[in-house]
Amino acid sequence: MTLTIDNLSAGYGRTNVLQDVTVKDIPPGAFVGLIGPNAAGKSTLFKTIAGLITPNKGALTIAGEDVTHLGRKDRAKRVAYMPQAYGCNALLSVFESVLLALKQTTGWRVNDENLDRVSDTLHALGLSHLANRGVADLSGGQAQMVAVAQTIVRAPDVILLDEPTSALDLHHQLSILTSIRNEMDRKKPVVMAALHDLNLAAKFCDRLVLLRNGAILADGKPEHILALPQIEDTYRVLTDLERTQRNVLYVDARLA
Amino acid sequence: MTLEVDPAAIRHDYVARVSRRYGVIAAVFGLLCLSFLLDITTGPGGYSLSTIAEVLVDPMSHGARLKVIVWDYRLPVAVTAVLVGALLAVAGAQMQTILNNPLAEPFTLGVSAAASFGASLAIVLGFSVIPAVGPLLVTVNAFVFALCTCGFILLATRLKGVGSETMILFGIAIFFTFSALLALMQYMASEDQIARIVFWMMGSLSRASWEKIGLGTILLCFAIPFSLYRTWPMTALRMGEATAQSMGVDVGRLRVEMLICISLLAATAVSFVGTVGFVGLVGPHIARMLVGEDQRYFVPLSAMVGALVLSLTSLISKTITPGIIYPIGIITSLIGVPIFISIILSSRRERLQ
Repeated sequence: MTLTIDNLSAGYGRTNVLQDVTVKDIPPGAFVGLIGPNAAGKSTLFKTIAGLITPNKGALTIAGEDVTHLGRKDRAKRVAYMPQAYGCNALLSVFESVLLALKQTTGWRVNDENLDRVSDTLHALGLSHLANRGVADLSGGQAQMVAVAQTIVRAPDVILLDEPTSALDLHHQLSILTSIRNEMDRKKPVVMAALHDLNLAAKFCDRLVLLRNGAILADGKPEHILALPQIEDTYRVLTDLERTQRNVLYVDARLA
Repeated sequence: MTLEVDPAAIRHDYVARVSRRYGVIAAVFGLLCLSFLLDITTGPGGYSLSTIAEVLVDPMSHGARLKVIVWDYRLPVAVTAVLVGALLAVAGAQMQTILNNPLAEPFTLGVSAAASFGASLAIVLGFSVIPAVGPLLVTVNAFVFALCTCGFILLATRLKGVGSETMILFGIAIFFTFSALLALMQYMASEDQIARIVFWMMGSLSRASWEKIGLGTILLCFAIPFSLYRTWPMTALRMGEATAQSMGVDVGRLRVEMLICISLLAATAVSFVGTVGFVGLVGPHIARMLVGEDQRYFVPLSAMVGALVLSLTSLISKTITPGIIYPIGIITSLIGVPIFISIILSSRRERLQ
C-alpha cells in the first residue's frame, strides 16, 4: 500500500525538528533509503511515522487513508518501527521475543496461526537455529536480526528500520538487507531504512531521500541523488560516483 | 551458511517448553498445598492430621476449644501466610518489570519503612490519618503511609531522566527518611509503646483475621487478572522501553496502571503483617529461573513461590522451638537469605528452561 508523507512538521514540544517534510507516493514493495548526516532528523521522521511523536502539522496517508490520528495500537498494526539497537537482559527466548512482538496487536490468546507465523519468519530470516537461544545471549548481529524479525512478523504495510546495519560486520550487513529484500518480494510492504553507508544504500534501495537539518534536500533514484552536489555539501566530503564491473553504483568519498 | 532447522521443529520446541512450564507451575502449586496443610496441622497442642481434618469439615466435631484453635487461629494464620506471600511477590515481580530493576520490591523501595512509621504514629501519638477507624488505627495508618510512598515513587518515575538506578536511590532515601522518623517516634515513646512498635516491625502473622483475608483476597482477585490482561505489553517492556514503545505499547500509561495496582497490593500486605522483607525479591527471582519472563507464566508462578516461601516460613517459625512462634520477619531474613544466596550462586548464569 502506498505511503505518502505530506508537508509534515514535527518535533519535541513546540520546536520543530522536521520542517515541511514531503515524500510523495512510495509504492508497495519499494525500498527507500533515508540518508543524511547525524542529527538530520531521521529518527524523528521514523518516530513520527510510527506514531510515537504527534506531528504539529501535515498528514500521513497509507493507501489514501490518513493515519495521523490512529491510536497507538492501530498505528502499530499498519506501521512497524525498529528503533536503533539497544541491548536487553530479558530472560526470553528468541522465539518468545518474536511472538511477543506479534501478540501486541493480535489479541491475548496464542493460536496456531501465531506460532506458524513466528516460526516461518524465523526460518525466512535464517534464524531458526537461534529460536531457543536467550535474547540476552545473542551477539550484536544476531540481536539486530531478531529485531528485524520482530518487525517483519507483524506483516505491516510500512516497515521503518533505524540504522539496521549499524555495528554489524560486512556479512551481517549484507544478510540483513538481503533478508529484508526477500521479505519485500513476498509481502510487498513499504520499507524505509536509515542508512549511513551510501554504498549499501546504492546497492539495495530503489529510491533515496536526503535529509538535512530536518528538511528534505533531494528525493529520487540512487544514481541521481548520489551524483548531486548536495551530497558533497551535506557530508562535507568530495565524491566520485562510479559503476563497478557488476554495474553496481559505487561512491568513492574523500575528505575535502 | 548456517545450519537450518525446520520451522515445524522450532514450533514444536516452543510448545514443549510451554507444557514444561505448566508442569513447573503445577509442581509448585502441589508444594504450596502440602505446605499449607502442614502449616495448619503444626503448632502447640499436637493434634493429629485426622482430628484437624474433621474439625475443618465440621467445626464442632471435637468441641468448641478445637474449633477456636483451628478456625480462629491456625487457619487464618495459614491463609494469611499464603495470601501475603502472594501479594508481596506479585508486587515485587511487577515492580521489577516496570522499573527494569531486579532489586525493586516493597522493602527496597521504602514502602515497608513508611508503613512502619505510619504504624508507630498510631501507636505513640494515637494519631490517625483517616479519622474514626477505631481498632484498625494501626493498620490503616500503615496502609495510608505505604500507599503515599508508592504514589511518590509513581510521581518520581514520571520525572524526566529518572532511570532505574535513580529509582533504587529514591527508595533508599525514603527508607532512611522514614527510619529516622521512626527513631524519633521511638525516642518519644513510652517503654510499652516501644515494645509494640518493635513487635509490629518484626512482621507477624498473629495479626491475621478473616476480615483482612477477605480484603486481601479481593485485591488479589483483581490484581492477577489485571496483570494477565496486561501480560503482552509487560513482556514487551522487558525488551526495553524503546522497543516496547515501537511495538505500540503506551509505556507511560502502562507504568501508571501497574504502579497503582502494585501500590494497593504492597500497602495491603505490609499493613497486614508488618515488615517482611525479601519475599518480594525471592518469589520473582525463583519464578524467573524456573519459567523465564513471559509474564503469562512469570506472574502467577511468582505469586505461588511467594506464597510457598511465606507458608514454609510460618511452618518453620512454629517448629524451631516447640511452644514458641517466632515473628516471620525474622525467619524470612535469617533462613531465607542463605538459601537465596545459595540458589543464586548455584545458577549464576540464569538460563532459559
